[in-house]
Amino acid sequence: MMDMSFEKKGRLEDIVVWPGDQEVDKFVYTPGIHGTEFAKGLKDGKILGMKCKDGKVYVPPLTFCPDFSKGEIAEIEGDWVVITYTIVYEDMYGNFLEKPKVIGFLKPVNGEGGLIHYLNVPIEKINIGLTVRPVFKEERVGNINDIKYFE
Amino acid sequence: MSRVAIVGAGYYGFKPQTIDLSFQDLMFESSSRAYASIDPRKDIDAFVDCQEDMWEGIAIADEFAPEPIGGALRPTFTVAGDGLQGIAHAYMMIKSGYFDVVAVESHGKPSEIKTLQDIYRFALDPQYIRPLEPGNPLFYAGLDAVAYIKRNNVKREHLAMVAVKNKNNGLRNERASFSTKITLDEVLDSRFSIYPMSKYEIAPFSDASITFVLSSEENVRKFTDTPVWIDGIGFSTETGSGATQWHEFGRMKSMREASKMAYRVAGLDGNVDKYVDFAEVEDRFSFMEPLTVEEVMLAKEGEAHKMLEKGDFCFNGYKPINPSGGSLSMGVQLEATGLARLLEAYLQLINKAGMHQLKGVSKALVATWRGVPTYSSVVALLSA
Repeated sequence: MMDMSFEKKGRLEDIVVWPGDQEVDKFVYTPGIHGTEFAKGLKDGKILGMKCKDGKVYVPPLTFCPDFSKGEIAEIEGDWVVITYTIVYEDMYGNFLEKPKVIGFLKPVNGEGGLIHYLNVPIEKINIGLTVRPVFKEERVGNINDIKYFE
Repeated sequence: MSRVAIVGAGYYGFKPQTIDLSFQDLMFESSSRAYASIDPRKDIDAFVDCQEDMWEGIAIADEFAPEPIGGALRPTFTVAGDGLQGIAHAYMMIKSGYFDVVAVESHGKPSEIKTLQDIYRFALDPQYIRPLEPGNPLFYAGLDAVAYIKRNNVKREHLAMVAVKNKNNGLRNERASFSTKITLDEVLDSRFSIYPMSKYEIAPFSDASITFVLSSEENVRKFTDTPVWIDGIGFSTETGSGATQWHEFGRMKSMREASKMAYRVAGLDGNVDKYVDFAEVEDRFSFMEPLTVEEVMLAKEGEAHKMLEKGDFCFNGYKPINPSGGSLSMGVQLEATGLARLLEAYLQLINKAGMHQLKGVSKALVATWRGVPTYSSVVALLSA
């Protein structure tokens, strides 16, 4: 029969470790055709979606519709609704955050899909179904953080 | 077509850290145990390894897979996914008739990862989610948890009951490093970590390697007198954080689809609740246990938390769920987490679960999820 497993070392002094880095933190991401439009829209203080043949406007806009046809960029206007939310108090290592982060999944009333973003709503008032609107930063660069939060 | 059975299993670890062994040593340890009465170089036709580069800290990590499981220069491949997905591959390979005996190994060594939280964050969609600073990349589970409890009118107490049940069940299981004798009041008095869950309701991490050997029916008796049959297995993947807009929060549709496939493969005619004696299911977040129980149709929609409250899922209850203590007691072993659930079901069915052995069980359900931020699920039905 085969050799079975080895003797194990129990003393920490007998154990050798060395640190390493994962060389993966530098990347260039391409958001795609409509993803680029979405980013430009944020810079202009707008949230853009994609209108498909079914008449619905999907956000965020992929380049292709659920029915595989090409969609057209269209602006999302009006209120958004809280579909679900959570409040983060602690990081993965058990450190409490200075201020809890309130995060929601928000769907446009006049659209399909939705975005995950911060909610600037008092904790006791948050609920599923609450209507909110995006608040943009004054200085915008074309990423999701151009939206300050929804409130 | 031949039936497929588990004919051997081995494991090593299940501790918060195993600093004396490398991840390849862990693989060798678990495989040596699974092969105690098997020569892998002669008896095993193919090898499946489940691991993911980012967890290993090594790009193209399949280069490290073959030797420590006995698979060098043999039909060996790596799956970047949960170990139970590897079991599904092995099942199909044997069913194809091209292989009689297949080994499946998976491991996780999270203790070595100094930036575990950053890797989880790295899994989030780079355009729409990752630039945000949610404070904890596992927040994603909180979104599903809130949607689930609001939809079914589940109280915080119910989620706490899952933690109390599983943390206490683990006290009888030597692999459950995070078990503790905790009460409902202690959980309810603790602060929220990711609302609506406290730290007791979010599984910590542990190191382990687990190896299984699967065989065609014709070869089973060469290896064991106590085979455990895989009667059905199913898998499904929904969206991830890159298509959040297509996910229905508070549901796990991939779990439902995986279970339907598993029941179809098993030829299960009707009620799974009557078919299985107990289940080992996903519980790395407390809400996932009752949600999974509903998605695999062991409970009707909106009923799982009521059954939990009645004690139906307790160790001595009507349908024990996670008698091992689950991930809340045993930890998350990264890609090996699904095999940990399978291991516990397997040990019960061969009557070797030790202090937490259930009496008179012969059929089990195993249901796992790959974890945040994926929606990939596998469900298996087993019988002794």
